[in-house]
Amino acid sequence: MNATAETTKLTKKDFESDQDVRWCPGCGDYMVLAQVQHLLPSLGIARENFVFISGIGCSSRFPYYMNTYGMHSIHGRAPAIASGLKLARPELSVWVVTGDGDALAIGGNHFIHAMRRNFDLKIILLNNRIYGLTKGQYSPTTELGKKTKSTPMGSIDRPFNPIALALGAGASFVARTVDNDLEHIRKVLARAALHKGTAFVEVFQNCMVFNDGAYGAVTDKATRHDARLVLEHGKPMVFGKQKDRGIRLRGFEPEVVQLGEGGVTEADLLVHDEQGANRALACLLSEFELPRFPVPIGVFRAVTEPTYDERNAQLQELARATKGRGDLSRLLSSGDTWTIESSETRSATWP
Amino acid sequence: MALMINDTCVNCAVCEPECPNGAISAGDSIFVIDPDKCTECVGYFAESQCLDVCPVECIVPNPQRPETREQLQRKFEQLLAI
Repeated sequence: MNATAETTKLTKKDFESDQDVRWCPGCGDYMVLAQVQHLLPSLGIARENFVFISGIGCSSRFPYYMNTYGMHSIHGRAPAIASGLKLARPELSVWVVTGDGDALAIGGNHFIHAMRRNFDLKIILLNNRIYGLTKGQYSPTTELGKKTKSTPMGSIDRPFNPIALALGAGASFVARTVDNDLEHIRKVLARAALHKGTAFVEVFQNCMVFNDGAYGAVTDKATRHDARLVLEHGKPMVFGKQKDRGIRLRGFEPEVVQLGEGGVTEADLLVHDEQGANRALACLLSEFELPRFPVPIGVFRAVTEPTYDERNAQLQELARATKGRGDLSRLLSSGDTWTIESSETRSATWP
Repeated sequence: MALMINDTCVNCAVCEPECPNGAISAGDSIFVIDPDKCTECVGYFAESQCLDVCPVECIVPNPQRPETREQLQRKFEQLLAI
């Protein structure tokens, strides 16, 4: 990275733009913005080397509020633009901020390919399970049965599970956090920032106006200990206010067990492994939903895979080493080319 | 009693412009209330303005700063005098 002297004294304030933040009071987006601004000065990257790219939606107002380079781009296409930028300028730290509509409805295709290609991008998905900017229609992550403006009798549309989708598409870093847990969101964002490759973070984000309480049990201080499973690498999967319940595997089926009952001890529980040789454990966890299972938060998977931008750099180097420096005009006039002659020239040469 | 903001705060900033004493600002992680400037709106309004507007109910009395209404009134007068 192109670190300059400025990086040593950057603070959160340096990343705040002069724009008025126009999200509704109480929106979870504010928390993500504040914590990203808090994180960036610690990365040792010059401010001019950060770029924030978004699509369309409430989430996608994010670049306006960052005092960095950025682009409020085309609906659903932020990953494509970010990938192109990373390819052209691999030294930049490129971040995508998107929402459940932007990433998973109109941008579903770009999303899966960003996960698959493993560009060195950070992709934050602010999932409020509703279309907020257009005032409350259901989104691809809206729960079955949910009544919204466009599903007055309850949604009959099976939702996407963003974590499972990212894992299925081959993402090398997949994590989930919640908008009202300061410590957790900071930890997860920091992990994502340090990951080499596409780092995907789903944030459970509350929309106060159109979908308030969508994550109630997982975020409410009174219930969250029982409703969520905090994933920690190398640690047994224990949850509950008293830390007295855990996850055990029976064949391919996970189950919730009570510690101390029927001789169950921590040694019987599943141990979290972010770096497993295969995605099975992460996929299994991604399926956990209330009320049968606690909702996992934290890093599901973090593995080191070659990035697209690294591979591209190697390819370019190899091409230069074997064929020398390229010459665009020679390339364009080489191979299967022909000359279109004017009728005058043709008549003159026609027998 | 001066007020304080607890960790339920989502940084939405809606309280900041409402404070007549200018006691609220963005802190390192969440918004903070300067207890030396907070009068719970005594002197200005019958109700604490930040409490009224906070959408996530994260503003609570600061147990470190027990103050009576009279003390808050005096703080208000001192702040005006500055």
